[in-house]
Amino acid sequence: MTNRRRILVIEGLTKSFPAGFWRKPVRVLSDLSCDVYENEVVGFLGPNGAGKTTTIKILNRLAFADAGKATLFGEDVRDGKELRGRIGFMPEQPYFYEYLTAVEFLRLCGQLCGMARGETDSRSAKLLSRVGLEDARSMAIRKYSKGMMQRLGLAQALLHDPELVILDEPMSGLDPMGRMEVRNLIRELKTAGKTVFFSSHIISDVEVLCDRVIMLHKGEKVAEGRVEELIGSQILYIELVVSPVLAPGRLAEAGIPPGVGETQGDLLVLRAPGTREANGWMAGLLSAGCSIHSCLPVKKNLEEIFLERVGEGGVEGKSN
Amino acid sequence: MVRRILSISANTFRETIRNKILYAILAFALFVIGMTFFLADLSVGDFARIIADVGLASIHVFGVIMAIFLGITLISNEVDRKTIYVILSKPVRRSEFILGKTLGLSFTLAITTLAMAAVLFLVHLGYQFGGRAEPGIFIASAGIYMELVLLTCLASLFSAFTTPVLSAIFTISLFLLGHLTNYLHAVGEQSKVAAVRWGSKALYFLLPNLENFNWKNEVAYGGLRSASVLGWAAGYLAFYAVCVLCLSCLLFARKDFK
Ligand SMILES: Nc1ncnc2c1ncn2[C@@H]1O[C@H](COP(=O)(O)OP(=O)(O)OP(=O)(O)O)[C@@H](O)[C@H]1O
Ligand SMILES: [Mg+2]
Repeated sequence: MTNRRRILVIEGLTKSFPAGFWRKPVRVLSDLSCDVYENEVVGFLGPNGAGKTTTIKILNRLAFADAGKATLFGEDVRDGKELRGRIGFMPEQPYFYEYLTAVEFLRLCGQLCGMARGETDSRSAKLLSRVGLEDARSMAIRKYSKGMMQRLGLAQALLHDPELVILDEPMSGLDPMGRMEVRNLIRELKTAGKTVFFSSHIISDVEVLCDRVIMLHKGEKVAEGRVEELIGSQILYIELVVSPVLAPGRLAEAGIPPGVGETQGDLLVLRAPGTREANGWMAGLLSAGCSIHSCLPVKKNLEEIFLERVGEGGVEGKSN
Repeated sequence: MVRRILSISANTFRETIRNKILYAILAFALFVIGMTFFLADLSVGDFARIIADVGLASIHVFGVIMAIFLGITLISNEVDRKTIYVILSKPVRRSEFILGKTLGLSFTLAITTLAMAAVLFLVHLGYQFGGRAEPGIFIASAGIYMELVLLTCLASLFSAFTTPVLSAIFTISLFLLGHLTNYLHAVGEQSKVAAVRWGSKALYFLLPNLENFNWKNEVAYGGLRSASVLGWAAGYLAFYAVCVLCLSCLLFARKDFK
């Protein structure tokens, strides 16, 4: 891990926004530090108003930090126009020139990135069909739906084949198919050796996609680490599904304490606190004539970790 | 750098010429200019001169309306609609963005001014009593155009920081003051208070002097302005525009977008 190149480094980033003449400025980011390594997919999580978009704006010099430093490819984000050619960015709820068509807009992007016309056209044709917009390529952007705008946002972010892709809520506003396509796209980017940094509210997507996550709450980092590390290997309980439903008396005979099960239709669902209990219970149940349909260890998922961390609002000290 | 500025200005040009309201204003302007043909019939005096006077005044007024209408939202629209986010995340400097936007709008105004001047020229030429080819119309229109470019630079400066309404108020105020600076200067010089004299002198140099571009009167007398006057006006425009654009770029460089 440490021998890999750090592509994005944020150190002590602090940002306040003025809140009016008399009131003191609102602190939106406090001393945020984190980094993203080469060829990683990193998820940026946090509740509404946590400061995700603000951080991403600072990385794209759409806003400027009060203190701290952010570097991309070792260069300060505030300077280095050349740096921008290596980054693809999709803003939150993107909006583009409504009087252009998708093809015209991508041509403009290609010109700004210094790409040759032929290269732009062939890449934009490929990307538009990749994001499912080939039928709408000559339609005025004015007539686009929210999800189509989002798809065009992805296409423009990838047009110049950037090494690092920064996406602000790429899944929001997409239908289930669209979300799946975006997940696949992000996986493809990783396979192609790119680095992806994206914010999201959809924790299940983050859980399956990301190598690492950074959790933000009220402008402070509350967790950072590999998804497996955060989830931990700890098993919460083992779930047994059996039938038929036994009467409480017979359950007690089978060695099962009261209050660990619930009936779901014809099935009885039991939660054993550990492997030893689960084995004992299964023996008892089998000898009582029950059949066991499933036996599953249940781990914490990222969503619970998120709610835990964000609910406490506590700041974790130094994590990795 | 030049390529990126040109791309942005070409896009701005496309944005403005796809604006239906601009067409409405232009159509109305051409209609009014065309009507001077009949206006001359109703009045006494030098018919051809009336056509030139009223026609050039129309070009001026409608040109200013177009410049202000498009200029006050030139930058603020991009910020409000967040279209600027994607542009600035590409390898583009903020100053290149400002220059490109201003250049694009100037190009649009060049086309509309040229269209209006051409119609006026034809009306003047076609007038049955003493109609003649009057190249002065194009010279005077060039002066009007220079003024429009200067107003565009000012409007784009304001539109980078304030709402369209405030930008309109500021730009229109500067437009009116810009035509009165000679007068204000003369009045100020009469004052007995030294501070007022200094103040009026300072204002005289700070405010744009739009009368530098006013060659309407001369045209109708057939006397064309000498090249040195044109050159001086162009130099003044270049100097003033560079100052205003530098100020815009400087102030825009570190602005946070909401
Ligand atoms: N221009 C601004 N002026 C004042 N406050 C702002 C500005 N931009 C953001 N904020 C404040 O900063 C905080 C963080 O906003 P930000 O948009 O970064 O949140 P977010 O994590 O992206 O939230 P969401 O999940 O809703 O997109 C919010 O409380 C917001 O009110
Ligand atoms: Mg956000």
